[in-house]
Amino acid sequence: MYHNNHCEGFQCEQRMLEASLGEEGGELGVLDRLVAWMRQRSLFVLAYGTGCGAIEMRPLMTSRFDAERFGIIGAATPRQADVLVISGYLAVKTLKRVIRSYEQMQEPKYVIALGSCAINGGMYWDSYNTIKQVDHYIPVDMYVTGCMPRPEALIEGFAALQEKIKRGEPGGFQRYRENIDWYKGNQRRVLGDNMPPDYTYDWYHAGGTA
Amino acid sequence: MHVILDALAMIGLSYVMGFLFYGFYRQFSARVQRRWGPSIWQNFFDNMKFLLKSETLSHGPMFFFGPMIIAAGAITTVLFVPFLKDSDWLQGFSHSGNLILIVYLLVVGPLGNALAVGSSGNPFGVMGVTRGLTRLMGLEVPFFLGLALVMLQHETTSVHAIMAAQDGIAQWNLFTNPIAFMVILLPFIASQNASPFDVVGAPVEVYAGPRVEFGGRLLGVLMTQNMMMTIAKLVLVVDLFMGGATNIFILIAKAFSLFLLTAAISLAFPRLKTEQTVDFFWKVPLGLGVLGVVATVWFPWGA
Amino acid sequence: MSLIVKMLFLAVSLSPALTLLVWGDAVAWPLLGGIELTFDLNPVSGFFMLLLALGAPLVALPMLRGAHEGPAYGLYALLLLGMQLLLLAGDFIGFFVGWEIMTWSSYLLLLRSERSDLEGAQSYILFNLASAFLLLAGILGFYSLTGDFRIEALASAGPAEQLILAALFGGAFLIKVGTLPLHIWVPRAYDQAPDTFSAFLSALMSKMGIYGLVLLPTLFPQGLAGLLGSLLNGPAAGYILAWIGVITSIIATFKAISQEDMKRLLAYSSIAQVGYITTAIGVGSSLALGGALFQALVHTLVKLLLFITFAGIILQTGQRRFNDLGHLIDRMPIAFFAVLIGIIGLAGMPPLPGFAAKYLIFVALIDARWLLLLAAMLLSSTAAFIYCYKLIYAPFLGHANSPEAKAATEAPWPYLVPQVMLMGLLVLLGIFPGLAIELVIDPVLIGLGMAALGAPSPGELATAYGGYDGVVLMSVFGSAFMIVTGLFFLLRGRMRRAGSAYDLSFAGEVPTAETPLHYGAGMGRELRRIPLVDWILSRTTTRFQAGLTRQSLAASGLLGGLYRRDPQTWILLAVLLFAVALTLMLLAGGL
Repeated sequence: MYHNNHCEGFQCEQRMLEASLGEEGGELGVLDRLVAWMRQRSLFVLAYGTGCGAIEMRPLMTSRFDAERFGIIGAATPRQADVLVISGYLAVKTLKRVIRSYEQMQEPKYVIALGSCAINGGMYWDSYNTIKQVDHYIPVDMYVTGCMPRPEALIEGFAALQEKIKRGEPGGFQRYRENIDWYKGNQRRVLGDNMPPDYTYDWYHAGGTA
Repeated sequence: MHVILDALAMIGLSYVMGFLFYGFYRQFSARVQRRWGPSIWQNFFDNMKFLLKSETLSHGPMFFFGPMIIAAGAITTVLFVPFLKDSDWLQGFSHSGNLILIVYLLVVGPLGNALAVGSSGNPFGVMGVTRGLTRLMGLEVPFFLGLALVMLQHETTSVHAIMAAQDGIAQWNLFTNPIAFMVILLPFIASQNASPFDVVGAPVEVYAGPRVEFGGRLLGVLMTQNMMMTIAKLVLVVDLFMGGATNIFILIAKAFSLFLLTAAISLAFPRLKTEQTVDFFWKVPLGLGVLGVVATVWFPWGA
Repeated sequence: MSLIVKMLFLAVSLSPALTLLVWGDAVAWPLLGGIELTFDLNPVSGFFMLLLALGAPLVALPMLRGAHEGPAYGLYALLLLGMQLLLLAGDFIGFFVGWEIMTWSSYLLLLRSERSDLEGAQSYILFNLASAFLLLAGILGFYSLTGDFRIEALASAGPAEQLILAALFGGAFLIKVGTLPLHIWVPRAYDQAPDTFSAFLSALMSKMGIYGLVLLPTLFPQGLAGLLGSLLNGPAAGYILAWIGVITSIIATFKAISQEDMKRLLAYSSIAQVGYITTAIGVGSSLALGGALFQALVHTLVKLLLFITFAGIILQTGQRRFNDLGHLIDRMPIAFFAVLIGIIGLAGMPPLPGFAAKYLIFVALIDARWLLLLAAMLLSSTAAFIYCYKLIYAPFLGHANSPEAKAATEAPWPYLVPQVMLMGLLVLLGIFPGLAIELVIDPVLIGLGMAALGAPSPGELATAYGGYDGVVLMSVFGSAFMIVTGLFFLLRGRMRRAGSAYDLSFAGEVPTAETPLHYGAGMGRELRRIPLVDWILSRTTTRFQAGLTRQSLAASGLLGGLYRRDPQTWILLAVLLFAVALTLMLLAGGL
C-alpha cells in the first residue's frame, strides 16, 4: 500500500480508508440518492477546539483554503451542526463536553477525528488523563492522521466524508445508536460519577424513537 | 383557482429568488474576501439539507409552533406585497392590504418565533431575541419615517397607488424623493439582517442568538422563511422607490440591482454592537429623516 | 345570605349595561336658581358607557370570589353609580358630582388593599383632588363666562379666556389619564390596588379622563383649531396636546421595560397606551378621533384581559415579580393564551384590533402632515414590543424560578370566564374592524359633528388613504399556518421531545436546577447602554414634584405668616374691623 507512486503519506492512508468503505450506494433509490447528495453538499461544522488541531481549522475556513466552496461552513451551536471536528487530543474533562455536544447534534451527524492524538493518543499515549481512542466513546466517521495534519489533509478528510455520505453508507450515528450500551459503558469507565445526566441519552435506550 | 395559482407562483418565485440571491451574496462576499466561495445553489442545498434532516428536537408545542408562525408570517407578507404592476398575476392579496400593514406583517413572524425561543428555556436564545427587539426599535423609527414621507408624497398608503404614480424613470420615488430613499436604506439593510447590523443572528460565530436551540427541520423552516422574507422586503422597496415592475424579468433586474447596492454596503462595514446600531439609527438616518420632514413638509417649497 | 349579596352585587355591576339599553329621553331636574340638572345619553357618553357596561361585570366576577366583602361591594356599586352619573350628565354640576363620587369611592376601595401604603394612597387622592379642583375652577370659569352649566360650545369668550379654560380642563383630564409629569400616582395606585380592581382603574377609570378630553374640542367653537390657529393640517393647540401624549408614551414605555413587577409594568404600559389616545385627540380630525376611540376600546379590552389574567397568576402563585415566575405555559395554558392575545393587542400587531387603532392614528398623523409626531409615536410603539415580550416570556416561558411557580394551577373560573370572553371579543374585533367602526365608532363621530369613517364591509377598514381587510388577512394567515404545519409533517424524519427542560444547548455544559437560566427581570436592562434610553431612565419626575412641593410649602408659609398664633387676637381684630367697617358704612350711608 505504501509502495506505490501515485500517492504518498496521508493521501495513501486516506485512499485506504476510502477503499475500505465499500460500494453500497447502488441500492439507494432515486429519492434517497438525491437526499444523500443534498446532505453531502452542505456540511455545517462544529469545531471543537480543544487541542492544538484547532489552529488548523482557522486557515481551513478562511480565505486561503476556503472550505466554503465545498459547502463546509461553521455552525454556532451543536443543534445546527452536521459534523463535529475533534481537533486534537481530548482530556477526560473535555470528553464529557464532546459527548454532550455530540448528543445534542441532530441526525444525520458525523464526527471527524483530527490528528494522531484523537486516533491513538499520539504523543500523549502514556498520559494519565488523555483519551487514547476517541472511537471508544463516540463513533468516528473519518480520521485525518498527522501531527498536525495540514488544512489540505483536512479538506481531503472532508471530501472523503462527503463521498461516504453521498454513497448513503450508514454513518457513525447509527453505530452509536445501535451500540449505545457499549459506548455508554466505555464513557462511564472514564467519567465515573461525572457522567452527564440520564436524560441526555435515555432516548437512545428507548429505541431512539422517544 | 386564479388566486391559488397566483399565490403559489408568488411563494415559489420568492423562494427561488431568495436562495439564488443569497447564493449570489455568498459568492460575492467570497470574491470580496479573495475566496472562491460556494456555488450559487449553496443556500438551496443548505436549506434542503436541514429540511431533510432525520431528527428534530422539540422543546414542546410552543417551540414547534414558533417556526410555523414565522413561516406563515413570511408567506402572508409575500402575498400582501404586489410583485408586478398593471398585471393580473403575482398580486396575491395585495389589494386587501396596504403599506402600513405590510410593515407590521414583517415583524409578526419574528415575534411569533420569539415565543418559541422563550419556550425553549435557553437564556442565550432570549438574549438574542432581546437584541433583535432592541435593534427593531432602532431601525423601525427611521424606516417608517422614510416610508411615511413617501405615503405623504402620494397621499395614500396603498402600494398599488404609489406604484401607479411612478410612470417613467423620472417619476421614480428614488429620484422624486431621494431623501426618503436615503433615510430607509440603512434601516432596510438592518431589517434584512445583513452586515453591519447582523449582530442579532450572527450566523456562524456567536453562540447566543435566537436560533440557538433550533436544529433539524425547524431550522430549515426558519431558513426558508428568511429567504422569502428577504425577497418580500426587496420587492416592497422596488415597488415603492423604483416604480415596480411590469414583468418578472424587470422585477428580478430591479430587485437584483437593489440587492447589489445593499450587499456592497454590507460587505464594506464591520459589525456594530446592538446599542451602537440603535444609537446610529437614531442619530444618522433619523436625523436625516427629520431634516427631510423639515425640508419637504414644513417648508412649502420642498413639496 | 352572602350568596344573595353576591348575586345582588353582580346585578349591580350589570347596571351600566342596563342604562345603556333602556335609557330613554333626557331627564331634567330643576335645581335652585333656574339651573337644572340634566341627564342624557348622547352618542359620545354612550360609547364610554359601553366600555363601562363591558368592563364592570367582568371585573365584578373575579371580585366575587373568596370571602364575602360587603364594604368593597358597596364601594364598587357607588363607584359605578358615580361613573354613570358622570357619563350621563348633560351639565357640569352632574359631571362634577359624578367625578367626585368616582374619586372618593375608588380611593376608599384602594385603601382596602393590604398592600396600599400611606405614600401611594396619599399620592392617589392628592393628584385626583388636584384634578377635581382644576375641573372645578374650569367649571366656575365656564359658568362666569356663559352663565350656564350645560356642556356645550363656549360661544362668547375671548381667546385668552378660552386658553385659560382649555388649560384648566385639559390639566384636570390629563392628570386623570396620567400624563407626564403628572403620572406618578398611576403606577403606585395600579400596583397597590387590589389585583382585580387594578383592571378597573386602568381599563375604565382612565377612560373617564379620555371622555373629558374628547369633550374638550366640543367646548370650544372651532374645536382645538379655534384656540391657537392651525399648524400644517391640524390644530396648533392639538399639536401641543399630541406631543404631550407622545412624550408620555415614549417615557412610560421605557419605564415599563425597566420594571421588575408585573403590575407596575402594566401600569406604565397603560400610561403609554393612553398617551396614544391623547395624541390622537390632539390631531382632532375625524380619522384621528376614530383612531382614538378605537384605541380606547381596544385598550379597555386588553387591559381588562391582562390585569385580570395577572390577578389570576398572582392569586395562584403569590408572586408578582418577573424573576419569581416562569414556565407557567404548561400549568396555566388559558392564562398563556389570554396574555398572548393581550400582548398582540397591546403591541398593535395585525390580526388583532390593536392594529386597526394604530393604523387609523398613523394615517391621521400622515393626513395632518405631522410626521415628526409619527416618528416619535412609532418609537414608543416599537419599543413596546420589548415589554410585551417580557410580559409573556417572564411568567410563561423559560424556567420556573420559584416553588410556587412550579406547582401553580389554572386560576379559578371567575377569572377564566372574563379572560375567555375578552379574548373572543378581541379576536372578533380583529377580524371585523369594519364592524366596530360601523357599530361603535361612527355614531360617536356623527354625534361629535364629524364625518363618519364608514366601512364597505364588516371585515374592511377603509380610509381615504386606503385600508385593509381583516377577514382576508386572518384567512390568509390561518391557511398559511395550516399549510406550513401540514407540509412540515409530510417531511420525513422524527420529532423528538427534549428529555428534560435542562436539555439545552449550553456550550457543552449541562445546566442544572441551580443554574440561573431565567432571563426574566434582566431583560431590558441592557437597553440602558443606548444613550437616549439611559438618559430617559436616569431621570425621574421626582425632582419636579419635590420642587412643586417646596414651592407650595413656601406659598402656604407666606400665607400662614399673616396669621398669628393666638386666635383670640385675630378674632378681636376681626370683630374690631367689622365694627369699624359697619360704623363707617352707617355713617356713609346715613341710614
